[in-house]
Amino acid sequence: MSRILVSYATLGYPKEREYLEFIDGCIREGSDILEIGVPPKYAKYDGPVIRRSYKQVSTWLKDIWPLLKETRNRVKIPIIILTYLEDWLPILDDFLSNLSKIGIDGILFPDLLIDYVDEYEKYVKIIRDHGLKAVIFTAPSVPDPMIQKVSKISDIFLYYGVRPTTGVPIPVSVDSLITRIRILVNNKLVVGFGLSDVEDMRKALRAGADGIAIGTAYIEAIEKGGVQDAINLVKYFRGVLNEF
Amino acid sequence: MAIEREEILPKYWYNIIPDLPKPLPPPRDPPEAEFSRIDLLRKIMPKEVLRQQFTVERFIKIPEEVREAYLNIGRPTPLMRAKRLEEMLNTPAKIYFKFEGATPTGSHKINTALPQAYFARAEGVNHVVTETGAGQWGTAVALAARMYNMESTIFMVKVSYEQKPQRRTVMELYGGKVYASPTNLTEYGKKVLAENPSHPGSLGVAMSEAIEYALANNYRYLVGSVLDVAILHQSVIGQEAMKQMDILGDEPDILIGCVGGGSNFGGFAFPFLGAKRGEKFIAVGSYEIPKFSQGDYMYDFPDSAGLLPMVKMITLGKDYVPPPIYAGGLRYHGAAPSLSLLIRQGMIEWREYSEPEIFEAAKLFAEAQGIVPAPESAHAIKAVIDEALKAKKNNEKKVIVFNLSGHGLLDLPNYELMMKRLSK
Repeated sequence: MSRILVSYATLGYPKEREYLEFIDGCIREGSDILEIGVPPKYAKYDGPVIRRSYKQVSTWLKDIWPLLKETRNRVKIPIIILTYLEDWLPILDDFLSNLSKIGIDGILFPDLLIDYVDEYEKYVKIIRDHGLKAVIFTAPSVPDPMIQKVSKISDIFLYYGVRPTTGVPIPVSVDSLITRIRILVNNKLVVGFGLSDVEDMRKALRAGADGIAIGTAYIEAIEKGGVQDAINLVKYFRGVLNEF
Repeated sequence: MAIEREEILPKYWYNIIPDLPKPLPPPRDPPEAEFSRIDLLRKIMPKEVLRQQFTVERFIKIPEEVREAYLNIGRPTPLMRAKRLEEMLNTPAKIYFKFEGATPTGSHKINTALPQAYFARAEGVNHVVTETGAGQWGTAVALAARMYNMESTIFMVKVSYEQKPQRRTVMELYGGKVYASPTNLTEYGKKVLAENPSHPGSLGVAMSEAIEYALANNYRYLVGSVLDVAILHQSVIGQEAMKQMDILGDEPDILIGCVGGGSNFGGFAFPFLGAKRGEKFIAVGSYEIPKFSQGDYMYDFPDSAGLLPMVKMITLGKDYVPPPIYAGGLRYHGAAPSLSLLIRQGMIEWREYSEPEIFEAAKLFAEAQGIVPAPESAHAIKAVIDEALKAKKNNEKKVIVFNLSGHGLLDLPNYELMMKRLSK
């Protein structure tokens, strides 16, 4: 199987019509999995670009459900929701039930192993009890034994963010980071967080990543040139993945 | 002799991040940030320093030029046995100390100033900037810059600038430009002065000025403590101490250091912890700045101006105003993220001692060993004495090793005032 392209979109960004256009383009140009960001109150581990997109959407999107349903209806490939556990804790059961009801495949909480590290197994079980897949987010600061443990229980793939935040190109050694954890991960390994640099991407894939997740680069493209530019990027990244 | 020195000086820095029991919470931007603090780091820190801040490699090679500089400032520093202190306490415990006060700038701070300046120079920058409170960190940066033929600008908290003229003199002797902060050199400084022309300055203001000044001129900003990269560089202390203990044929039971931001404690203790040597680790803070006993473990800003990214640490809050104790280096509201995590996991114990207690400890140590300790380091000494007396009570032959992070020869005015105050 070829390498996995996980394409991220902020739900409803920049406006409903353009968002749906982008989703359609993502599918057309060969994304394997769609990752949809539901704007949180506090995007703790997101960079300035994704944060701008959340802010923009929150000015008009008051009810996420109709648009999430519409997204599901248009898309056959798996859809994973990205949002922060912190925000949904008070109504977690309702939130997960609703996601499950409309046919969303899985959920990824980037704060699960950071802010709820002592209880992550409990939340993985709750997610699965609602019929959803639990995609686990890990980072270089997660100790080896824990990567090994959670890689096995992460559904669909293990998400590995190589930088401390999205979209800020902090200098990191992508190849050595991935070489190090590849041997620990007994699952599909998808790498993200600041991977829009194509050389970084190739390094990640050469070092054994099964796929890459792209988000910030699309949002920036939409900001600068509009949806079609972002769709062109999907096509371009698909091409890079197809080299492997 | 020279060969022996080079053998003791490590070739790699040790990074504890991959050996932590739990994931280290990453730095993050505040909820409604107008700009990304994490992104700001890219503009102000030398690239390699930033890479090391976020690396998860366990060992990072020390560039040959930096090793030479370490040798040049007298590394390895001595590991000495405090035999007379043992005798005065009449304890069966053995007491060793690593003497970081033996460096030219009189404290451990130079260990991270050197590589940070080196990496700035390596990317073609010829000017580094920082802030300093009491002057230890500024002194280290001024010397490090000079050693790599760079200029340095140091924003020194105005009240310290006036009260600690000797520190300023040392920095200027090294070629550093020292300004009493708030200054008219930055927009932030101007704003502060406009609001209050006689503002005494604070570390937060000085830090904001240094960052702004570095940004405006495309210089690089050097970071003194708290961020993990500073602890990484300080790991030369603990690694040297391990080898020196091997040479002496002794094995440590108890390891002790004082904590301002955590870089001297972490630099000394983490290599032992990582190598699973030692049964008890004690981080010592100030009773007057009770971060361990009363601080929360939460996300907070390392700087009071809120310009740096938030980190998860034990903290009294960035706006906490510390009382004017004489251990200026311990007047910090938080403890480094890795140290905070290890304390919360129970792998490192903590103590807090009050000024009169540490003064007694400092005096006893000076009488016993002839070295006037920095008031900060005297906190570690107090814990050492307590542990040695406990060993005596239990008749246990414990081996206690502590980091004497600096000498107190530029703190003599403080000691004079303390003597006057405490004799009342």
